[in-house]
Amino acid sequence: MSYYIDEMRPLPARAAALREEVQGAVQSVCTERAIIWTQYHRRRENRKKPAVVRMAEALAEVLARKSIAIYPGELIVGNFSSKRVGGSIFPELHGVPVMLDLLRFRNRETNPLAVTGKEIRSLLAVIPFWMFRFMALRAYRSPLARIRFVADQLKAHFYLINESGGISHIAPDYEKLIRIGAGGFIAEIEERERDSAPDEVARDLYRAMKIIAEGIARFGERYGELAAAMAGEEADPAKRRELEAIAESCRRVPRGGAETFRDAVQSLFFAQIALNLESLDNSVCPGRMDQYLYPYYRRDLERGLITRDEAKELLACFSIKMSEIIPVFSSHLTNFHGGMFNGQVVTVGGVDRNGSDGVNELTYIFLELMDQLRMRQPNYHARVHAASPRQYMDIITGMLARGSNTPALYCDESIIAMMTKNGYSLEDARDYTGVGCVEPVSQGKSFSSTDAAIFNVPLCLEMALNGGRRFGHLFRSGARTGPAGSLMTMDSVKGAFEAQLRRKMGDLIRDLRAVELANRRYHPTPLTSMLIDGCIDAGRCSTAGGARYNFSGVQCVAPADTGDALFAVERAVFQEGRYTMKGLVAHLKRNLRDQRVRLYLRNLEKFGNDREETDRWTLYVIDRFGETLRSFGKNTRGGGYVTGLYSVTAHEYFGRITGALPSGRRRGEPFASGIAPESGMDRFGPTAVCNSVNRIDFTKIGNGVNLNAKFDPHSLRGDEGRAALQGLIQTYFRRGGMQMQINVLDPEMLAAARDDPALYPNLMVRVSGYSSYFNDLTPAMKDEIIRRSLYQC
Amino acid sequence: MEPKAAPSLQERGIVFDVQQFSLHDGPGIRTTIFFKGCPLRCRWCQNPESHRYSMELSYSRDRCIRCNECVRVCPAGAVRDDECRFDMSRCTLCGSCAEACPARAVRVVGMEYSPEALMAEAGRDRDFFSGSGGGVTLSGGEPMGQHRFLAAFCPMLKAQGIHILLETCGHFEWSAMEGLLPFLDLVYFDLKHADDGAHRKWTGVGNGLILENLGRLSASGVPVQPRMPVIPGVNDGGENIAATAALLRGYGQGVIHLLPYHNLGEGKRRQLDSPSEYIALEPMQEGAMERVKNLFVEEGLDVVLYR
Repeated sequence: MSYYIDEMRPLPARAAALREEVQGAVQSVCTERAIIWTQYHRRRENRKKPAVVRMAEALAEVLARKSIAIYPGELIVGNFSSKRVGGSIFPELHGVPVMLDLLRFRNRETNPLAVTGKEIRSLLAVIPFWMFRFMALRAYRSPLARIRFVADQLKAHFYLINESGGISHIAPDYEKLIRIGAGGFIAEIEERERDSAPDEVARDLYRAMKIIAEGIARFGERYGELAAAMAGEEADPAKRRELEAIAESCRRVPRGGAETFRDAVQSLFFAQIALNLESLDNSVCPGRMDQYLYPYYRRDLERGLITRDEAKELLACFSIKMSEIIPVFSSHLTNFHGGMFNGQVVTVGGVDRNGSDGVNELTYIFLELMDQLRMRQPNYHARVHAASPRQYMDIITGMLARGSNTPALYCDESIIAMMTKNGYSLEDARDYTGVGCVEPVSQGKSFSSTDAAIFNVPLCLEMALNGGRRFGHLFRSGARTGPAGSLMTMDSVKGAFEAQLRRKMGDLIRDLRAVELANRRYHPTPLTSMLIDGCIDAGRCSTAGGARYNFSGVQCVAPADTGDALFAVERAVFQEGRYTMKGLVAHLKRNLRDQRVRLYLRNLEKFGNDREETDRWTLYVIDRFGETLRSFGKNTRGGGYVTGLYSVTAHEYFGRITGALPSGRRRGEPFASGIAPESGMDRFGPTAVCNSVNRIDFTKIGNGVNLNAKFDPHSLRGDEGRAALQGLIQTYFRRGGMQMQINVLDPEMLAAARDDPALYPNLMVRVSGYSSYFNDLTPAMKDEIIRRSLYQC
Repeated sequence: MEPKAAPSLQERGIVFDVQQFSLHDGPGIRTTIFFKGCPLRCRWCQNPESHRYSMELSYSRDRCIRCNECVRVCPAGAVRDDECRFDMSRCTLCGSCAEACPARAVRVVGMEYSPEALMAEAGRDRDFFSGSGGGVTLSGGEPMGQHRFLAAFCPMLKAQGIHILLETCGHFEWSAMEGLLPFLDLVYFDLKHADDGAHRKWTGVGNGLILENLGRLSASGVPVQPRMPVIPGVNDGGENIAATAALLRGYGQGVIHLLPYHNLGEGKRRQLDSPSEYIALEPMQEGAMERVKNLFVEEGLDVVLYR
């Protein structure tokens, strides 16, 4: 039997109907979590309890009181929010600025959200309680430092500390939850309490874990009771049987271990909801589902309890459910995290813990689903290695060549080598999955704040060329370095740049550490800790370093723009002598108004064209960034700070606030995304881009990389196109590439979609490491996508 | 056979483009090298910059920002003021103007390469060739116009195990081909018209030598793939198709590749000092190609349509 997908097959009717419901639903704000959380924390008797217990009790209360519903046709049940598609507000994290933005939600241009007047009023009522209790404010004690940090973050010109919105970014140990259930965890913890002599911190943590384990068990049972009640009132016998089956499953899981494939999917979905309500609702990732679900699938097949089609239908229901959650961000945060996407990664394929290929029948079912559903969430990743099955590769490249734009591809050899070098055991590295956008972590074992912060690198060069001041600013915001006229050699330019980098990255790390401690102190995460290996053993919360692996990722935004700018300085000032340093900076301050200067600079060679003399500057920037980061030592959870080369949509925002660069880019223009060449500057196509990018030593890029390769649909047509794409991907990976995602874009289609959002409501594009609907992008991002695709054709 | 053609360092190739990631010039991921100069003047030609064997100047009025840098730097005084008019009789092709032009509106078309230098360019994507079953495509212009350079260049490609495909119009002296045969993995051979008179009318040369070469190549053991650019009103009539098919059958060729006419070279033509006669046509409709395809199929040939 071959499952090669020659063309889009129609979706099964049930899945098609569910998808239509979800995609047609209005994206809304749900107030329940914010209100219940506030009510819990307001109660006097709760204020004295240890923070970790408060978190567990508050979350358990949310799970017990939040409204629940089972929608028609569902097989997997559970609700992220009270709305069909909704997002929660986290007043204790980034929620206060979000709520201050409330009145604008309905009418804002990007990602409008439905919220009623009554809901707004109830949310406004909780603001006073959190006004001085939210995370960013708690990072510092002194009032001045508080004001400085919060004001800084509201502008976020140099960096944004995402971690003040919570940490998350985990791939929980769902395998264990499915196997032993919440009840199993309670038993394990009780045993641990008896047999070891836990200190006070551990005792509090264990108490909290047991509370929340009971909480998620009860949460499942609520659905069991609801399904049973609905079954009693259902006249249609087929529908009644469906509801009875739901009731049966929800009575078993997540309290107990899963007995069936369906139990397994249902159990993990309840945990998925609970984790998204515990801390930041971002990048809670089921991870390697085809691996840990497979034993249940096989056993059910053997026992005759399930067919392949039935398993596929269950997974389709699950997959659609994953799109019922959206993040509620303020307009400010939308600049950085565009696209209404919670970063829930599901990974398929790759080697198992022993190094053998792990592709199985569920892998193929997932591939069919991602091609047929083409929904925003989950964010599907596919792992490949040199011995990945031919059929697996053919199906994936076939889908991509036809424009599915999903899955994103990850190279086992490169990622496993990077992870073992960074301290992962070989088995744990083999068991990696992406979280969020592109960040590799070990399933069930890492508590890595992979999106801890995003850093604007080109701004450091701007200050380096201007004595530590930004163009047009009177005050010095960077390190004191010499004025432009004093930069007589390339070495002195590099010296000034590195000084600015050290200063601003130092500021970032100082703030980040304060936020790490605030998370540990004010927002421990007992449920996450229970589902991440190491925390129970250590008796320490994940926020306090209880997990096995504890990295923090800092994203290096716009390395290519910075590298190209440095190359341009070298070429124009020190090699050709076309301008003096002072003269060049004067042109930059005038925003390159003189066309001759701008075009000359713009037409200089750029990163991504396989020219060593240019590419080495981008490598230099990445290397300096990584070394500087490393010089700051460990985070407060005991893990290292690692470099990420992806930018989500921050390259657009940082570009908007950064002055002209010697690369010929004018003030306000977007930077390149991830590790891609500057927009429109790759003249020789994707192989040359790969040759340039392959020069990077990816074993030093501990937090993942995003390379977006774009194609016009024409070039990948037919089997020759598919085969060429496969050759491109495999060669890039064989030479050390880490990640790649393939966008097939049709510029006419995109322009039409921009002009009339109703035309292609489901048009999906990949923006820096994840899929998003085109309509959810900011106008500037839409234009950027169109500009890039025009260039391709 | 282990041919040891000594690469002559004096031999230079003139190339007007090296295009990486070509997916439509043979199997796999390829790098296509466009050699300058062509013995034919097909009146529908979309690569007008390929005609001359020598380097030439190209000027884009659209890109020009009228900064007059070219006027300032030209040592021969060949660029006149205000409108950037080039006096080609004075131009020595020194390239100063192109170097000075910030907008890249003035360019020198064609670049001289030693075999070693071209090898460095062609070898950039070597890993992708082996990973996709691709290689290097020699195109143009007419690559056989620089056969002495190819005699030095092809052994270097082969020494690195690179698959070589030659695209040719077929108009060359057979003696030039003989030494290259051991290095060629595949030849794409263009047929423009089966009738000698019509061929002369539309391309400037007759097809006698071309057909003779097709016959010899077909018998040489190197795989040959005949191709035909379909030009509306020129060679898409039933009579020509029947005659072309008969010729191909005679050479034992059972498959033809059909390339639709397009007019994407229009813009380039205006940037050159190009005297050649030219017919401008509307781009092909998909249905029109289907019709030509069916005629060939009726003649018993297998057809591959390009898009």
